[in-house]
Amino acid sequence: MKLQRTLASAAILLALGLAGCSPSHPDAQAASTLKIAFFGDNTQLVSLDPFQVYWLEHRVVLRNVVESLTDQDPQTGQIIPWLAERWDVSADAREYTFHLRQGVTFSNGEAFDAQAVKTAFDSDKAFTAEVPSAFGATYLTGYDHAEVIDPHTIKLVLSTPNAGFLQATSTTNLAILAPESYRHTAKERSLGAIIGTGPFVLDHYTPESGLKLVKRSGYAWASANVQNKGESHVATVEVTYVPEESVRNGQFLQGQVDILWPRNPFADVDLKLLQSKKATIQSRSLPGPAWNLYPNTHGDRILADADVRLAVQKAIDRKTYASTVYSPEFPVVDGVYDVTTPYFRSQGPKLGYDPQGAAALLDKAGWKMGADGYRQKDGKRLSLSYNVPTKETAGDVLIQDQLRKVGIDLALKVRTTAEWFTANAAGNYDLTFSYMTRADPIVLQTILDPRSAISPTMATNTYPPAILGHAQGLFDAGLTATASDQRAKAYGDLQDFLIDQSVAIPVFERVWQAATAPRVHNFRWSAEGFAFLNDIEVSP
Amino acid sequence: MSRYLLGRIGQALLVLWGAFTITYFILYLLPGDPLSIMLNASGMEIDALTPEQLAKAKVYYGLDQSLLVRYGHLLWGVLHGDLGQSLTLNRPVTAILAERLPQTLALAASAIALSLAGGIGLAYLAAYVRWRPLKTALSRLPALGFSVPVFWMGLLLIQVFAFSLGWFPSTGSIGAASLVLPAVTLAIPSAAVYAQVLQRGFLDVSREPYILTAQAKGLSRGQVQARHGFRNAALPLLTLVGLQVGNTVSGAVLVETIFARNGVGRLVQEAVLRQDIPVVLGVVTVSAAAFVLVNLLVDLLYPILDPRISHAPKVT
Repeated sequence: MKLQRTLASAAILLALGLAGCSPSHPDAQAASTLKIAFFGDNTQLVSLDPFQVYWLEHRVVLRNVVESLTDQDPQTGQIIPWLAERWDVSADAREYTFHLRQGVTFSNGEAFDAQAVKTAFDSDKAFTAEVPSAFGATYLTGYDHAEVIDPHTIKLVLSTPNAGFLQATSTTNLAILAPESYRHTAKERSLGAIIGTGPFVLDHYTPESGLKLVKRSGYAWASANVQNKGESHVATVEVTYVPEESVRNGQFLQGQVDILWPRNPFADVDLKLLQSKKATIQSRSLPGPAWNLYPNTHGDRILADADVRLAVQKAIDRKTYASTVYSPEFPVVDGVYDVTTPYFRSQGPKLGYDPQGAAALLDKAGWKMGADGYRQKDGKRLSLSYNVPTKETAGDVLIQDQLRKVGIDLALKVRTTAEWFTANAAGNYDLTFSYMTRADPIVLQTILDPRSAISPTMATNTYPPAILGHAQGLFDAGLTATASDQRAKAYGDLQDFLIDQSVAIPVFERVWQAATAPRVHNFRWSAEGFAFLNDIEVSP
Repeated sequence: MSRYLLGRIGQALLVLWGAFTITYFILYLLPGDPLSIMLNASGMEIDALTPEQLAKAKVYYGLDQSLLVRYGHLLWGVLHGDLGQSLTLNRPVTAILAERLPQTLALAASAIALSLAGGIGLAYLAAYVRWRPLKTALSRLPALGFSVPVFWMGLLLIQVFAFSLGWFPSTGSIGAASLVLPAVTLAIPSAAVYAQVLQRGFLDVSREPYILTAQAKGLSRGQVQARHGFRNAALPLLTLVGLQVGNTVSGAVLVETIFARNGVGRLVQEAVLRQDIPVVLGVVTVSAAAFVLVNLLVDLLYPILDPRISHAPKVT
């Protein structure tokens, strides 16, 4: 009887197990459809309106629907012509005159001309007045008004200097929509009333589910970044949001999806699996700041002491982080910015792993090693509080372990998104992080310049009061410099300063990876880490 | 009977009000500030605003009133069928629910139907089969079905039926085919419970004297089980079905995530994380109402199915 029971139970388990192991057979895919699986939709801000969108996945889609006055060379960071054939910038960098390309139309038939550009910029400005927190507001900083000189020439006038303005005109955020789009309400635009000049037309968008793009026939005005000067090779693009990682990976491995595009880089085990299926891994460092930790140096916080900040800087082993959290080939972070950011300056020698040096600095600062393996001063433990939104990552735990080796206790405090924002805004942390993607060094102002940061508390807390003025001076130098060599110097100085003061503690390079199936050809990155889908060919 | 009915409806309303109130205050007690979440949703941190702007924003989102006043407003709205405005999605809660509910209702209904069919079928078979090894195996199955985590079962089903066999889509919510795997996933634990309860029921019933009588009349085993065994053993299932309605919403959170369906489960999970109180309250109210309604129906069905049970006061 007992044997029978055991046999019966074993049979059930075996049946389940065998079913799980049966062989797989991928379906052939129609060559005219490109299927992309992203990890998820933005549930905080449900919007496809280019001006409001910061969600990277949406910006990938929008790059192919709406176009901008200029484009940016992904290799050099140079601004190149797109909807504007050429432009002149006045000596004081307050007036930008764009000579527009002729023969361009929006997908609804409206002509692309100077009046349409004026409508777009004025509508964006009006939206900023209504919602000052709109993401695109930082791109538009200083914009005052537009003057239509003739149907194909427009002058954009700034009231305050904004050295990043030319780059801003190349972004999806300041893309030119058809005047009809601006006659819709912002809410309608958010849900898909987006009409552009791009190689694809947005067919529909279902939040949290997916969207579909269809090819625009008659398209013929790609920028120099795109090899295919005519209509897109694929007829439709289907985007789905698949939140569960194993399901998303499975769909790709089964051939149901052509591009697997999660937010986080692939772990080593996934990379090996994907490569065994002949997938190509496309990688690009996202321009903008690297994934940095920012200290809270205010009041009697532990990190007000520059020696302790420097000790933290030295105690982080970035090579191990890149190779264990991600993969052996993963680039090691080399500065305040990711390497794809224009005017990037390497800080490599200052970011080496040096636990002895960290220990010496902490000893000097009066933090003596205690019996429990953590340092103490005046009976207080060297404990840094670090808020983690929703769940801790392998990387968080690794940093905790690396800091423990020099006697620093990193207290990981897992918070819901709601609590995390509140704690940051209240300055309730010792270390925090923030990032943003834009291919211009000016983007750091939205994180670290207290006068224009999204979170002024965080930006202010980053600097000990004595050096805040110097930091702001460097930001101003960057903002007002217009010549390339001036900008290079200003932002080079800023990067040196942030690392020398250890007010930015780089941890890893923000690499974005997508896996493309063997039948997908000619996947190429834009400067800001998006893709030109009209270049992609899918073999049957 | 009508007095009983009135009493039950009164009770149901009380349960609804209780669920609404408790949820409201629990959400309010969560640490974190809804205003900072809402501002962050549009790309701005709360500390970037001046006190005047902050006051304006609070008025705009209706957060300037006291806890009880806001509670009163929300409750008053609910009584009028208005569930309020989502804090982050910038749309009325009723519109969001109207969009999301059909997905979850279809999932829940098919899961309940499948779990009933599966659970009853299994228990019926286990009671009918006489070959010991098979009987033992069948009676072990429910324990397995109940102890396998929903999450793992979902992934297993996708692996087998979507990836290996290619019979059903692995994700999405378009078409009846996309409903099969999620419904099966959600149905398995409930089916296991039904099967277990029913098996027990068959076992108890088989010892009853009327079964002996039926057999003595010369009815076959199948006839005895169908006519005399099943009807009596199946009554407790009715209560379980009522309870399962409550499990569906919580089960939907997992199932909808695995199968990338956008129903109420994922909506409520995300709403809780960003403290979107009106949305959470809306979902709680609607699912509590469904729960209460189904259980009321179950209670009213009992005397119809089993004349021995009566809600009317006994006259002696």
